Amino acid sequence: MAYPKSHNPFADDDDEDFKPKSRGFGDNNDDDSDDGLTDAEKRQRYLQREVIRTAQSAVDSSYRSMGLIYESEKMGVETAEELVRQGEVLKRTDKMMDNMDQDLKTSQRHISSIKSVWGGLVNYFKGKPETKPPPEEPKAYQASEKLQSAMSGSREYEDKYQASHPNLRRINTEGFGGATSMDDGSSRQNGFSKNKHLKEAHQTLDNNLDDMSDGLKRLKNLGLGLQSEIEAQDDSIDSLLNRVDKMDMKIHNTNQQIKKLK
Amino acid sequence: MDNSGKEKEAMALMAEAETKVKSSQSFFGALFGGSSKLEEACDLYVRAANSYKMAKNWCEAINCLNRAIEIYTDMGRFTIAAKHHITIAEIYETDLVDIDKAIAHYEQAADYYKGEESTSSANKCLLKVATYAAQLEQYPKAIEIYEQVGCHAMDSTLLKYSAKDHFFKAALCHFCVDMLNAKLAVQKYEEMFPAFSDSRECKLLKKLLDAYEEQNVDAYTDSVKEYDTISRLDQWLTTMLLRIKKTIQDDESDLR
Repeated sequence: MAYPKSHNPFADDDDEDFKPKSRGFGDNNDDDSDDGLTDAEKRQRYLQREVIRTAQSAVDSSYRSMGLIYESEKMGVETAEELVRQGEVLKRTDKMMDNMDQDLKTSQRHISSIKSVWGGLVNYFKGKPETKPPPEEPKAYQASEKLQSAMSGSREYEDKYQASHPNLRRINTEGFGGATSMDDGSSRQNGFSKNKHLKEAHQTLDNNLDDMSDGLKRLKNLGLGLQSEIEAQDDSIDSLLNRVDKMDMKIHNTNQQIKKLK
Repeated sequence: MDNSGKEKEAMALMAEAETKVKSSQSFFGALFGGSSKLEEACDLYVRAANSYKMAKNWCEAINCLNRAIEIYTDMGRFTIAAKHHITIAEIYETDLVDIDKAIAHYEQAADYYKGEESTSSANKCLLKVATYAAQLEQYPKAIEIYEQVGCHAMDSTLLKYSAKDHFFKAALCHFCVDMLNAKLAVQKYEEMFPAFSDSRECKLLKKLLDAYEEQNVDAYTDSVKEYDTISRLDQWLTTMLLRIKKTIQDDESDLR
């Protein structure tokens, strides 16, 4: 739709007149030609002002929406950074658990060698427990390439969207152009200047809507990225919980063994 | 007064910690589990520091934290030492406003975190260092940090949305030094990170560069205002932009 707010909430009775006005001001003039063009002119100018006012408020609200979108993006970015930090903490915890595992195995060997000579011999034959190789860095999400291509693809689509706009703008000028040819010279000048303002307002609105759609696209991708990161961290938290529980039991057992040795 | 109670508590804790440290260093202490004594001593130092903080005795609190950090680094537990460095840096930031010392502690914390491979925690500290360095006009340091963090963020799926912010700040620091630097920097960042060119930050930078070339203060102010209507400029950004604006005005008055 070319006009985001073609329904003027204040002019109830002029609703039917309003729409034809945007296309051509012919009808209204024909009807009021008996009362004098002044009345029709006044109404016309009032409605023109209303059009500009609503267009302006649409532009203002689009600015506000853009601001909100950028704010959300900022918050999302901060959340992402915090998530990544927590992910690293989880990884480190995992590594520590590996270390603890190693330490417990070593202490178990020592305990069994202290307990009995036979245990010591068994240890000698078992050999040193192999140190686990450090877990490799998790590969970067393969989705990153997909996202990059998605971003460049969306830019091309944006160009096509821009190309369709001149069509919409032509309807504007036609409507007003048709009107001015019917009116007096004075109102023709007025109509022309308002036409320009309206054009500008609509152009700004279109630009803002483009920016908003870009912002929303980024927000969507950010949200999806956050979701996958959270899921991965959920899994690692679960596995960590299991390991910690097992470790707890092992430590308890080892403690008992040492107490018995005393 | 509650404060004096907390202070006494803090002093008692500190004294206890010191005795523990001394006893762990003695012959028998080392024999019978010196390390556990050290850990308890660390814990006591940290508790003492907290009590001093509540009593608002910042110097003593920092003193306790420093002692705790020494013991932790001896034990090789750098993560927790880094955390305490950050606590100290925060005290210097807010209560005992001493920005140089705050920077030093944040840098140390970042080094420890890097050693422990916690890159994002390290980056968090480094960003604080860069913010303060830029405020104190130590631009090369700030630029290096912002570029480094920006490049690191570029490669991560989640963090790449913050990369444009880092490049923006780096470009502003370049701008404070020299306009040509800023131009080259913006081109470099656009090449490295294509998404940067679409961002509003990049568009603002280009407008500011143009305004600077034309020595047009009004255009500069207008573009800043336009940016501000959508995303509020924070304190740091406002300071940097004002500094750059001043250089335009100085150049203008020089020509006249």
